[in-house]
Amino acid sequence: MSDFARQQAEFQRGILDGDDTVLAEILDSQREKRETLFGVYRYAYGSRLVEAMRNDHELLHLYLGDEMFDEMGYAYVKARPSAHPNLRWFSHGLPEFLKSAKPYSDHPVLSDLAALEKALNDAFDAAESKVVELADMARFAPEAWSGLRFQPHPSAFRLDLATNAAAIWLALKNDETPADATALEQPAHLLIWRQDVTPMFRELAAEEAMMWDEAANGIPFGVLCEMLATYDEPDGAAGRGAGYLHGWITAGLLTDVSVGS
Amino acid sequence: MNIASRLPDTSAAALADRPVTSAKPPFLGFGLGLRHQHYDEILSGNPPIDWFEVISENYMLPGGQPLRTLDRICERYPVVMHGVSMSIASTAPPNFEYLQALKDLARRVEPKWVSDHLCWTGVHGKNLHDLLPIPYTREALDHVVSRVQLVQDFLGRAIVLENVSTYVQFSNSEMTEWEFLSELSRRSGCWLLFDINNVYVSAFNHGYDPMTFLNGIPADRVVQFHMAGHSHMGTHIIDTHDHPVCEDVWDLYAAALRRFGRVSTMIERDDNIPPLDELLLEVARTREMAEKILPRCTQAE
Repeated sequence: MSDFARQQAEFQRGILDGDDTVLAEILDSQREKRETLFGVYRYAYGSRLVEAMRNDHELLHLYLGDEMFDEMGYAYVKARPSAHPNLRWFSHGLPEFLKSAKPYSDHPVLSDLAALEKALNDAFDAAESKVVELADMARFAPEAWSGLRFQPHPSAFRLDLATNAAAIWLALKNDETPADATALEQPAHLLIWRQDVTPMFRELAAEEAMMWDEAANGIPFGVLCEMLATYDEPDGAAGRGAGYLHGWITAGLLTDVSVGS
Repeated sequence: MNIASRLPDTSAAALADRPVTSAKPPFLGFGLGLRHQHYDEILSGNPPIDWFEVISENYMLPGGQPLRTLDRICERYPVVMHGVSMSIASTAPPNFEYLQALKDLARRVEPKWVSDHLCWTGVHGKNLHDLLPIPYTREALDHVVSRVQLVQDFLGRAIVLENVSTYVQFSNSEMTEWEFLSELSRRSGCWLLFDINNVYVSAFNHGYDPMTFLNGIPADRVVQFHMAGHSHMGTHIIDTHDHPVCEDVWDLYAAALRRFGRVSTMIERDDNIPPLDELLLEVARTREMAEKILPRCTQAE
């Protein structure tokens, strides 16, 4: 290892781990001791990353308050140092961290709230793609419909939540007092996407969530309707399937519809 | 055929000693750092700003509103790209995925130039998201020169590097920062972005006269000035870029104009972002001072 590489490794350990080895090669200034001057870098590291987390998770910050959010943020910074050159992706692992690290894992609403905010952030700057319009569907003959396959817009993302985090998110967004966190008997099925430039989400019924997931997997419309028939009134399955499809198209959720495999 | 005899010499010494020439970027006039808080006002009002500098990483994204807005800005104004994550002085291998994303963005933006900082941001697969200082040694100089050569080859363009504010000095430094920057620019062919606030901050922190720094930089290598504010801690100054430009830095700008002549100049505010009008006043002052000190030399090319 070169001298330069060794010095950088020690400088980095000094910031990340509090190791003082590098101080032996740093000078006091005329006015200040080296410990204080190096401390500028130590302080900036954590505070910059926690600030990035606050920007990415405004409502989780609001929910926890400054003190608890910062405590959680510094714990995340310590546990998961950034590996990506772009700060935009630093807090990507936060939902998983909150789900697995004590004491946060004792409060599953935190992980759910973080996951919802992450999904909305991801939808905001997801890739561009064309959007299927209702008029586009007219080119398919009625007999072709059972073979239609659907491609979701790149911004679309499905998320299941175990808690009432979506209701808490809405309350916080509207400056209302959120309800107490509760575990749901059945998971809430959310669909998150970007309509023009605005990230959106809505909750899906269990059968629509199933239909979306399977459509995204390439299952054709005819089979999707058969699958819907197992969820509710079989005779109305095709109508319900057509209704869900209509909703997806008008919301800009599909980027392509095609016939065949 | 002996293939080995045809291979390029990729040793650091060979890369570092290769002469590089590129046309000096044009004078753009007086600009501002683009911030999302001002998107609507800029797009609806077309304020009198000669050019914008954009933070590259803010647009190294798959899609969405930031890129759409950037496209619209690029239709109306000259743009330069300014990055914070190139980590040109890191001893770790370069992040080619990052460099490819930067190159892709440059293809979209067609910037007048691409800049970053003379610093490193991490080693061993970690990124500290800070502009970290280096020792000014011959070893570091050889390393950075070879890295700049490599990045310029990869991007297919000369890059522009900025002096950063520093809070520490290394005992093993063998030259001054301005000697290092001058030699780096001469040997690698990179251009220099002279952050006047950073010169002021580093000069205070390390106890030298900022004019010595200013006079130590070759005038023909500087293509851009940054003007910004800072936070004074009494015994040291922290480069927060979250305040208006202070009078001492304005005085140093006047000296820089006399030393370097006309140079594309911009106001850079990174935090505590004020209304656009407030920053436009600072942009206007950069222009007025240049017109006074360098009459008839301040029309953008």
